[in-house]
Amino acid sequence: MIGRIWAMAVNTAREAIRSKLLYTLLFFSLAMMLLGSVLSMLSYVERERMVQDFAFASIRLFSVAIAVFIGVGLIHKEVERRTVYTILSKPLSRAEFLIGKYTGLLLIIWLQVAIMASFFAGVSLLMGAPLGFTHLAALALIAVEVAVVVALATLFSSFTTPLLASFFSCGLWFAGHLTRDLRDHGANSSSALVREGTAWMHRILPDLESFNLSIEASHQLSVAASDIWFPALYGAGYVAIILASAAMIFERRDF
Amino acid sequence: MHSACLRKRGWLRMTLLVAAIATTAAAHSQFDTTSRVGLGQLRVPSPDQVRLWSLGFDAAVADYYWLRAIGIVGGETGSIAQHEEVLADLIDVVTEVDPWVDHPYRFAAVWLTRDREMVERGNRLLERGISYHPLDWRNRYHLAFNYFYYLDEQPRAADVLEGAIGLEGAPLYLAPLVARLRSERGGLQVAAAFLVQMVESTEDQYKRAEYLKALDEIQIEERARLLDAARAEYWRRNGRDIERVADLLAGPDPVLQRLPRAQLYLDGFEWILEPETGQIVSSYYRGRYRLHETQTDRARKQRWREKREGVEGEGA
Repeated sequence: MIGRIWAMAVNTAREAIRSKLLYTLLFFSLAMMLLGSVLSMLSYVERERMVQDFAFASIRLFSVAIAVFIGVGLIHKEVERRTVYTILSKPLSRAEFLIGKYTGLLLIIWLQVAIMASFFAGVSLLMGAPLGFTHLAALALIAVEVAVVVALATLFSSFTTPLLASFFSCGLWFAGHLTRDLRDHGANSSSALVREGTAWMHRILPDLESFNLSIEASHQLSVAASDIWFPALYGAGYVAIILASAAMIFERRDF
Repeated sequence: MHSACLRKRGWLRMTLLVAAIATTAAAHSQFDTTSRVGLGQLRVPSPDQVRLWSLGFDAAVADYYWLRAIGIVGGETGSIAQHEEVLADLIDVVTEVDPWVDHPYRFAAVWLTRDREMVERGNRLLERGISYHPLDWRNRYHLAFNYFYYLDEQPRAADVLEGAIGLEGAPLYLAPLVARLRSERGGLQVAAAFLVQMVESTEDQYKRAEYLKALDEIQIEERARLLDAARAEYWRRNGRDIERVADLLAGPDPVLQRLPRAQLYLDGFEWILEPETGQIVSSYYRGRYRLHETQTDRARKQRWREKREGVEGEGA
């Protein structure tokens, strides 16, 4: 099974690496990091930190953009081009097909994150900004966040059009960054329905703020191991749930 | 024929492009491009709103608002005092969204000085800074300065500054400065007691020497105050002021039998009348044990207070 998924993943990665959108977004990400270095010159203090803040923002923004805009066409393209029939006629289950597609895209996006991270390290060193373990942890958690977003895009791609899938994925990404605040605001409400509703939203929707260690990294604050491993575990669990749901939907789908 | 046609079309396109650029530039120069800050219309959202919509980009969003704050102070947007509310709102957003920032807290302390309300807003920001950077002496120093200079609350200034003593990088003069602040309201005994406590609690020889020096200064001040009393007695008896400190020992009925030492451990120093202020001072210190304030400082403080009283009077 692993072999079949891996073959599918390699194939997807080969296909994704030919996407012009990937390179365009990567270019803009690197350009934004350079722009951050220029913008930091406007400040007369804490320039190194600002360079890193903009770089983290750039990596997060463009990784998620790549994940959504390439992820939403992942399954739909195969169905539209009818290549899915050829692939599924082989000894490969629909779940394996889906997980393979997901893995392939994720590998390519992680490669992009690694390129952006190298550029981030280079810019930081040039600007004399410190680099430490927290930076690595923050970048690793961005990679986990991207894994969750790719899973969401794959889920939506398995049953709807790319346009709707990108709306849903972006919407969930927004919501994922708001659930903590919504829960906190809801907790102050006099209505039990609002209190419970916002608390359940926080439990059900992806809590993407748990993958955000940018501030801790740029200020070189110490981070407990549990602040890295538990979010990573949470992310892995969430990805498993989404992919399982996607597989169930995809298996019932008629082409 | 065909290439001539293409060339003609190329020229036409180029002409249209140049015309479009010229029209756009002309149109742009015709309307008011003053920034919202310049127009006094910049509305800063609440920190809660900003944090909610920063969507994981908190640090970059805080930097953006920080750059806007710098733009107000460094840009050509008129008097900074006009924009102090906006500045305070901006720094509030910066420090709420990314409370680990360092300099913005002190930036607020330096620029928010227009009136009491602004100073108090600056103080609240500094207090937030202290809670996130408890080991940084500078935020405490600025807070103490605001209490002392603008709000005239010396005891509170002394309390705040006392928390900065011994923190990494804190200058050695902080403890003597706290003692001086305490002496303004509580008297010399309070200041001396504080310094004795500091001497006893430190192992650092440099710090100990600094505190002992400040204690010496207090002892000299106590003697100078005795001489002030003797000077007043001289005036009462003779109907005129002394011309030299030695006058206190002169005449058939001298006010004093002898002068105390002008320096506790070193010879060669004497009591003199300080030419500028006319006060009796030791030639070793050449000044009295008070908070140092220049003429400019005094004038500035006076202007600030008058303005503040004017504003408060209008409010009433």
